[in-house]
Amino acid sequence: MSPPAAEQPGGHLRERPRRHGAFGLTLDVDALIQIPGLGAAEASGDADPPTRIELDPQELARRWEQARAGWRRLGALGASEHPYLTVDFAERAGYLLWAEGCGRVLISADGRQLLCDPVRDRADWTTILWAQALPFAATLRGLEVLHAAGVVTGAGAVLLAGEPGAGKSSLAAALVRRGAGLLGDDALALQQRAGELVAHPSAGLLHLRPAEEARLSTSERSALGAPTELQGKWRYTRAVAGPAPLAALLLLERSAREPVLERLDAVDPFDLLASTFNLSIRTPERLRRQLDVVTALAAGGHVYRLRVQPGTDATRLAALVDEQLRVASA
Amino acid sequence: MDKPSDQELLAARVRLPQHIVHRGFVAETVVLNLRTGKYHGLNPTAGRMLEALEQAPSVGSVVPELASEYGLEQAQIERDLIELCAGLLERGLIEIVDEPAGG
Repeated sequence: MSPPAAEQPGGHLRERPRRHGAFGLTLDVDALIQIPGLGAAEASGDADPPTRIELDPQELARRWEQARAGWRRLGALGASEHPYLTVDFAERAGYLLWAEGCGRVLISADGRQLLCDPVRDRADWTTILWAQALPFAATLRGLEVLHAAGVVTGAGAVLLAGEPGAGKSSLAAALVRRGAGLLGDDALALQQRAGELVAHPSAGLLHLRPAEEARLSTSERSALGAPTELQGKWRYTRAVAGPAPLAALLLLERSAREPVLERLDAVDPFDLLASTFNLSIRTPERLRRQLDVVTALAAGGHVYRLRVQPGTDATRLAALVDEQLRVASA
Repeated sequence: MDKPSDQELLAARVRLPQHIVHRGFVAETVVLNLRTGKYHGLNPTAGRMLEALEQAPSVGSVVPELASEYGLEQAQIERDLIELCAGLLERGLIEIVDEPAGG
């Protein structure tokens, strides 16, 4: 049930937040914020309060200004003089994320509140939410987020990890065209629950590189979802699948050889640690949990290496993956 | 604290500090310092030695068991254990629980 509408000064009622779910979190999203592709909240019976996402630049500025003495930069992406993403931390305020073209999000230290100060007149400013701030909040709230795409097949959740450009999104899209449910195409939350690993969906968004998108037929594109063009790239929005037990984690690797899928009996734990989405949160609790998730991944027989030749047709690769995982799980 | 001699090390009991955790994998043991966030990897033999040392009354007490397990001379195992423990001590991954007996 959504929380009640709030009374604003001047007697105006603010529309009640909308309840959604992503990254294993229950989210109460300010009605003024439209985050594409969010699914329904899970009916997990989790007693934890929802994470609130609020549009409130003034409150963000006030909190950060009050708490910023002693702030420190935890990380930045991009050129050192002109980063495109920064993560700062102040003890009494939390984590301040800034992304070029999107604006700022202040995440409370417990991950339960996100205050947003978006760039004006940019409809896609919410990218900072689904691409960075929500995975960050999920990590603060006890889930382990991997830099991976993921789908749900008959066997369960199949996660696709690997370096940028390895083909994660393309393969996820091809598996979706074969009937798999989408979990997400960039970051996914894993949770240890009752002795098994469960993968939670992120946002129902598929991003394809122009070259990959150009190879698709009209019917193949329409099978992916509703298209949106953003600065020359195509994004498809579709409903996400619900959380699912982990069936396989595929580590994609570029290779000159024909595609090969092999189950790894001896998993390099550092390959799994390198698949983490979040390098900024390094509390003892988080590091221990991350190591426990990696241990469970390695011990569960779930990890495969998928060698992929550059230029391999994703449709053909998806058929190979589907078939070989079916054989492996038989 | 001065570095212990080889004999002092063999006589000592060692333990992992609370902020050090380790997990075993097929091809290595990962040791993590929760305070620094730094990871260390041990090969399977070193991982097995660490496992044996955790419960042992002294470093030297595990020598016969490991020598039998690996089919090696006890003197070789002793040297390997001393080298391993010295490295782990230097990195703060283990600590000596009791001061070794004098002499």
